[in-house]
Amino acid sequence: MATVSLKSINKWFDSSQVLYDISIDIEDKEFVVFVGPSGCGKTTLLRIVAGLEDVSSGEVEIDGIDVSSAHPIERGISMVFQSYALYPHLSVFENIAFPLRVAKTPKAKLQEMVMRAADILRLTDRLEHKPGQLSGGQRQRVAIGRSIVRQPKVFLFDEPLSNLDAALRGEMRVELSKLHKSLNATMIYVTHDQVEAMTMADRIMVLSEGKLEQFGTPMDLYHHPKTKFVAGFIGHPKMNFLTASCLSIDSDGVKVELPAIGKQLLPVEPIKVNQGEELEVGVRPEDLMLSETGKGLPLKVDVLERLGGSTLVYGSLDKYPNFCAMLQGDANVREGELVNLDVKPASFHVFDSNGNAMKRREVPEILK
Amino acid sequence: MSSKNLAYNSLWQRLVRSHAFYAWLLIAPAALFLFTIVGWPLIETVRLSFTNAGLGGEEYIGFYNYEKLFSNRKYPGIVGRTFYWMFLSVSLKMILGLIGALLLNVKLRGRAAFRVLVMPPWIVPMAIGCIGWLWVYNGHFGILAGVLMHLGILDGPFEFLAYRNSAFYSAVITDVWVGTPMVTVFFLAAMQGVSQDLYEAAYVDGASRWYRFRRITIPQIMPVILTMALLSAIWTFNSFEIIWILTEGGPRGATTTMIIDTYKMAIANYKFGYGATRALMVVMLLAIFSLLYLVLLNKVNERFKVK
Repeated sequence: MATVSLKSINKWFDSSQVLYDISIDIEDKEFVVFVGPSGCGKTTLLRIVAGLEDVSSGEVEIDGIDVSSAHPIERGISMVFQSYALYPHLSVFENIAFPLRVAKTPKAKLQEMVMRAADILRLTDRLEHKPGQLSGGQRQRVAIGRSIVRQPKVFLFDEPLSNLDAALRGEMRVELSKLHKSLNATMIYVTHDQVEAMTMADRIMVLSEGKLEQFGTPMDLYHHPKTKFVAGFIGHPKMNFLTASCLSIDSDGVKVELPAIGKQLLPVEPIKVNQGEELEVGVRPEDLMLSETGKGLPLKVDVLERLGGSTLVYGSLDKYPNFCAMLQGDANVREGELVNLDVKPASFHVFDSNGNAMKRREVPEILK
Repeated sequence: MSSKNLAYNSLWQRLVRSHAFYAWLLIAPAALFLFTIVGWPLIETVRLSFTNAGLGGEEYIGFYNYEKLFSNRKYPGIVGRTFYWMFLSVSLKMILGLIGALLLNVKLRGRAAFRVLVMPPWIVPMAIGCIGWLWVYNGHFGILAGVLMHLGILDGPFEFLAYRNSAFYSAVITDVWVGTPMVTVFFLAAMQGVSQDLYEAAYVDGASRWYRFRRITIPQIMPVILTMALLSAIWTFNSFEIIWILTEGGPRGATTTMIIDTYKMAIANYKFGYGATRALMVVMLLAIFSLLYLVLLNKVNERFKVK
């Protein structure tokens, strides 16, 4: 049992503020990912939860108890570092046993706990090796082993996969998800990789420049990003943005003027905007398809990336030079060609000039 | 090049083109240089040790110098004193260096200033530093005697360098004073090379300061500690200026180490041959000591090695 609550956390380093009033509640056994670009404060926030940094103001609660100034050991957390932080002079066994030695665990129990962790992580035949003799993935598992022998209430991961190659990263992602299920513990995971966030998280917190942008399930973030930042950050390839002036607003949505398409009603729940105000309209590459009618958004194709299952088309659309469309299969498109793209009105995301989203009316099955 | 041409290559051409020759050619200047400044004097010392070289010329006398040295009843005492001097001084330098490095590694405002302040004993020319210490140890005007008298520990003026025991330990203290800064700086550099993540990981796992020092800092800087201990041991063994300026090996030989003894014999008494014998004893003992030490170092490195 472990819930984690962050209550209006602010953090300054000297005179510069790096975290602004972050408040979230993490439920028991939940896998939460903090995601955001480099320097957004996600690692600082994790270190605050760990007890490696103090809060400037606000509270960290674990299981309802304020632990803001408690030692990491009293918080019942364990942490896996980005660099793994393995002790190079100690064997794998001793590395995993380190927290138990600190806690003066009796020898027999220590042996048993280390062996069990090694067993879970398939390190049994590596116990006598030094970390330097292991591959990246094995080191990663040793670091995880060291954190699970403590049987903490909350696991903290600081970009644990960023030093691995792409194939191994995919593998470890699945392993971590399995580990989460088998350990039944609360986990907080920091990454800058939105794919990791989308694939592993129960809920994701998106941070930007120290501010909480959105906290929700992956599909919620994908289908209903609350801000333009989240919309652009979640999803790959990135969402395309167009500016369009607002023609009218009514209960059905907003009517805007789009390049080439012209007047179009977008079914969103409108927030207060002025007529004539410039709106940002977003459309995901995967929501675009080749038009069969010869109408739609005209895209001048610059580069094609054929992935087999899909084709990424990059080109310029009107005054937007970096537009991307993701077409199914081997799309019949050539570089240099002008193609017309169709998009359902309901697929558009609409943001006001401050970047706040208007909620889309269409809700995918999974979110109902 | 055709095979016909190859057949005409002279032996000389083949030699010049061979890798081994080229390698020797590249090494030659350095080898020649080393031979001139290390090899030749060493050979010359060995040669001298078999002569009675002095102001009046030299004559081959076989092993006479060695017989004389080994039957000298004072010599074992000098050897023992030298090792005691080395052991005591190096131990103190290591301990103080470690403590100093730890303190200087603390995150503290003005840390850079403290790091600079640790250097003077090392930067100040040794002769000048030692003359400073001569005054410190002076019985009538020295600060040490003055403070001790003021505190009531001493009844009256005490000439630290005038008595056998106090002179020896005073020389040790001065030697430690001179030698500690470098050890400190090296240890500090090694400590800064230890990843901060390791300390944080241990902290999160509940390890106390002492535990982290014992199980992370020490093993991580162990290779540097051992290397510094060896270098420091060699320097201390051969430390000459400090003792010479403070006591000239006195009183009554209380601070005469092997190197002082060698100097007195070879230079002060003009017995170059007999002095060379003693110099060779220094070389041999240090060589044996270093060899044993390197074997040990290898073993320890094996244990603490990363890969």
